[in-house]
Amino acid sequence: LFLSIQRIVPSLSSTVNYTDPTLEPVVTENSVIRQKIIDSQFKCYERMNRAPPYKKKGLFCNRTWDGWLCWDDTPAGRLTAQNCPDYFPDFDPTERASKYCDETGNWFRHPESNRTWSNYTLCNSFTSEKLKMAFILYYMAIVGHALSITSLLISLAIFFYFKSLSCQRITLHKNLFFSYVLNSMFTIAHLIAVVPNPGLVKRDPVSCKVLQFFHQYMLGCNYFWMLCEGIYLHTLIVVAVFAEEQRLHWYYLLGWGFPLVPASIHAVARARYFNDNCWMSVDTHLLYIVHGPVMAALLVNFFFLLNIVRVLVTKLRDTHRAESNMYMKAVRATLILVPLLGIQFVIIPWRPENRLAGEIYDYIMHILMHYQGLLVATIFCFFNGEV
Amino acid sequence: GDRGCDPQQGLTALACLAAQHFIAATACQEADYGWMIRHYCLKQFQLSMEDIGQRLWCDWDETVGTYGELTNCTALIAARLDCYWPNRLVDEFFVAVHKQYFRNCSPSGRALHDPPNGVLCPFIVLPVLVTLLMTALVVWRSKRSEGIV
Repeated sequence: LFLSIQRIVPSLSSTVNYTDPTLEPVVTENSVIRQKIIDSQFKCYERMNRAPPYKKKGLFCNRTWDGWLCWDDTPAGRLTAQNCPDYFPDFDPTERASKYCDETGNWFRHPESNRTWSNYTLCNSFTSEKLKMAFILYYMAIVGHALSITSLLISLAIFFYFKSLSCQRITLHKNLFFSYVLNSMFTIAHLIAVVPNPGLVKRDPVSCKVLQFFHQYMLGCNYFWMLCEGIYLHTLIVVAVFAEEQRLHWYYLLGWGFPLVPASIHAVARARYFNDNCWMSVDTHLLYIVHGPVMAALLVNFFFLLNIVRVLVTKLRDTHRAESNMYMKAVRATLILVPLLGIQFVIIPWRPENRLAGEIYDYIMHILMHYQGLLVATIFCFFNGEV
Repeated sequence: GDRGCDPQQGLTALACLAAQHFIAATACQEADYGWMIRHYCLKQFQLSMEDIGQRLWCDWDETVGTYGELTNCTALIAARLDCYWPNRLVDEFFVAVHKQYFRNCSPSGRALHDPPNGVLCPFIVLPVLVTLLMTALVVWRSKRSEGIV
């Protein structure tokens, strides 16, 4: 979930010098970058070979490799664009590079050098501002998780110290808080040790992949404990109608044991099919191996809670008024949290195109993601009527 | 020191020596460029590929070095002849090379990519189904522990 940070923060070191606006491919010395470019060149010529010839009528510009990107056959008079490459640290792959095919069916030539020229100027023109913002978001994430850990530890201390509070629901809260604490600790470890350390990423030790594995496991634990809370309330209110004591073994299994399954499958799939350095890349659909079950859990939880509210409102309003009020308060807290925790998965694909709106979106997403522990501690403990 | 050709450079020295014959031309002569890349770069590439052996032509790890040298060679000759690189001739040249050497290979280079959908979908759908199953199991077991079946 560290989309922009992981793209830009690792590249804290050198940027490449270019002369605007005649930004053009030159043969670079750096072998890693050259390797990427040669790979792209190979794929480009393969594609040019295999793609069917241009069938539509009218003038067009021939497909070409311009040294960095592959361009398809383009009708005359059209400006075609694609995403910038990620060869260089200061190139932003979310920006667009463009190439103009003029009316005579030839690619646009730069007036100064009279060579065929593609427009890569947008790729590195906003990078310094974006780098600044990436830093701000990075520190915000660390502060968020640190605040979360603090507030959660305080809440845990309150729950353990005041024995009068303890009941089964509080036991579930304790487990939930504990999983949040561990998740924040692993996230901070990842943010501090791996993300700003390109040397470590290049060396690609097994330990950073193990760290990622535990990170994914703790993410699963977080959301599955929220699901346990929902199932517990559901069993308590809808099924058993306020009978108190349930056996918590199955909840422990679902909350701590089961997240090992998606995390392990993700590790195996990643090692086999997408074994990048430190498993840091977020550009792969293999991440849905973990995020899919998490979203399923959130959805199921949401339906359970709606069902609970329905039961509380309709059936118990007249018969068990006092208890239903108490349980309504319990449900309210969970009902507020589940959408808040889940909404990041819903709106993450829809980042606005506009620059300012995109920045606001990034800030809100980071707050939602990294200050969750603080939110959970506040709602479940500090704002809890019994506490 | 720019005009001297270092004999230790191997392939590039060959290109360098040949290019020096054409110093007189200041603008890019496309015919010369086309001839040169076919006679120097392509020859060297052919020899290297024959050394590697036809069986391994589709193994990107084996051929990437030679392919990179071929690219370098064309770029160097372009620099010597004052042509910009890449250009239309380079495109045609490489398309021909690919037709001859890489026609039967799978198109991807070494960049990482997701497995095909037939592999990816089961990997994703399976944990989701197991999650739903497990949830149902926990709900059922907590019902039973109440004594209410």
